Amino acid sequence: MARLMDMGLNQLNTMLLDMSSLSQTAVAASIDAYSKGGRGSEVRKMAERLQALHRQVSDLSMEVIARYQPVASDLRFIKACFEISYGFFRYGRYALDIVEVLEIFGDLAKCDRSAVVDTAKVTQEMIRMSADAFARRDVNLARKIPAMDDTVDESYRNNLMKVMNAKGNLKCSLSGTLILRYLERIADHATYIGESVDYIVTGIEPTA
Amino acid sequence: MLESVTSLDVEERQRLEPHDALETKMEVVGLDAWYSTKQALVDVNLNVRSNKVTAIIGPSGCGKSTLIRCLNRMHELVPGSRVTGSVLLDGKNIYGSDLDAVDVRRRVGMVFQKPNPFPNMSIADNVTAGLKLAGVKDESSMKEVERRTLERVGLWDEVKDDLKRSGASLSGGQQQRLCIARALAIEPEVLLMDEPCSALDPTATAKIEQLITSLKQTYTVVIVTHNMQQAARIADYTAFMYLGKLIEYDETTTLFENPRQELTERYITGKFG
Repeated sequence: MARLMDMGLNQLNTMLLDMSSLSQTAVAASIDAYSKGGRGSEVRKMAERLQALHRQVSDLSMEVIARYQPVASDLRFIKACFEISYGFFRYGRYALDIVEVLEIFGDLAKCDRSAVVDTAKVTQEMIRMSADAFARRDVNLARKIPAMDDTVDESYRNNLMKVMNAKGNLKCSLSGTLILRYLERIADHATYIGESVDYIVTGIEPTA
Repeated sequence: MLESVTSLDVEERQRLEPHDALETKMEVVGLDAWYSTKQALVDVNLNVRSNKVTAIIGPSGCGKSTLIRCLNRMHELVPGSRVTGSVLLDGKNIYGSDLDAVDVRRRVGMVFQKPNPFPNMSIADNVTAGLKLAGVKDESSMKEVERRTLERVGLWDEVKDDLKRSGASLSGGQQQRLCIARALAIEPEVLLMDEPCSALDPTATAKIEQLITSLKQTYTVVIVTHNMQQAARIADYTAFMYLGKLIEYDETTTLFENPRQELTERYITGKFG
């Protein structure tokens, strides 16, 4: 027999899956706009929707705690919901930040965008893995994410070094740096989501 | 059926051995208990830490009340009952020939599910009933005990002007605090509580829970409760029992956040059966 609490937990799960899908679309749209020269105007609405969903997840999580006093895996799931929902919300927010860079800097068609596009591919794969790991409660998949975070971090640092020594186009290097910074933050959140999936399934808290 | 449930394995028992900083007040070792031919406890091993609240949870009939009654030899008062194994109190077996059952029950007091003040006695006499049975006659020390224990349970201000009133005239929550005062008056070292709040409303329950939390400064408390949230609120350690076996025993936070046994997980999340 289903427990009363299951209704709330299932609703939370559905909301997080919606956020997962929407945040992947938002990041993909922002990267697409950068690499293909679009404006990504649809991203703003997605980011706003993700923020609203994040608040709804927080409210529902609090309500389930207040009503049912969850314990064990139920409690771990709700605790992880806060982190995972925040991660999906931040994916959307950084996608919007990327689009805003494009609005400010205008046409970047003449810039060498390969480093950003390559890093974006890794980041988007991390987002997909974090989303799939959550959907399937797949600890093995979740544990593969941190190694990829190192790749993104390295790309960001390399770019910074390049910018510091470069004599080239400031517009290109500055926009690339900003976007890489947002990708680096997205990668961090993908790692946190992976850690939260691990915590739901195993109870193992991430180490600082 | 009993054989199908795994109790604490050797590794877990070792992990739960008390650390140096945590003294053991009572140690249950290989305890089995029967009601005639029906076995109620199966090889229970448990360390009760000094000055901590230990909660015992589990479904009806799992043996938690039997276990608590074995901790002060009340189980043997049931005709046909039997106990094997040992229960050490400060290292001495309470079932050993050198310890008297009455003395054990003085050192290990008990409070029951339903408040049971002596109905024909006043509030004051209820508090000192145990002392009188023990032969104490000095009036001034009786008065001192009355005041001290009623203050200890937070009842003094409510009853000090009418100590001659019948104990039965108090509210349910006050009666239960009176029973706790009666248990404390004989200065036990361990206080056993068998569902002490199950007959009380939320306000009275909150007062008893606050009292239990404060009592551990002086006493070691073992509480049986059906209310898992109560165990989570007040206990330092929690033991989960099922079909007479101790399935899991750990710090309360660990047991309720990340239980090691699937059976515990299913019980505390309400997925049982």
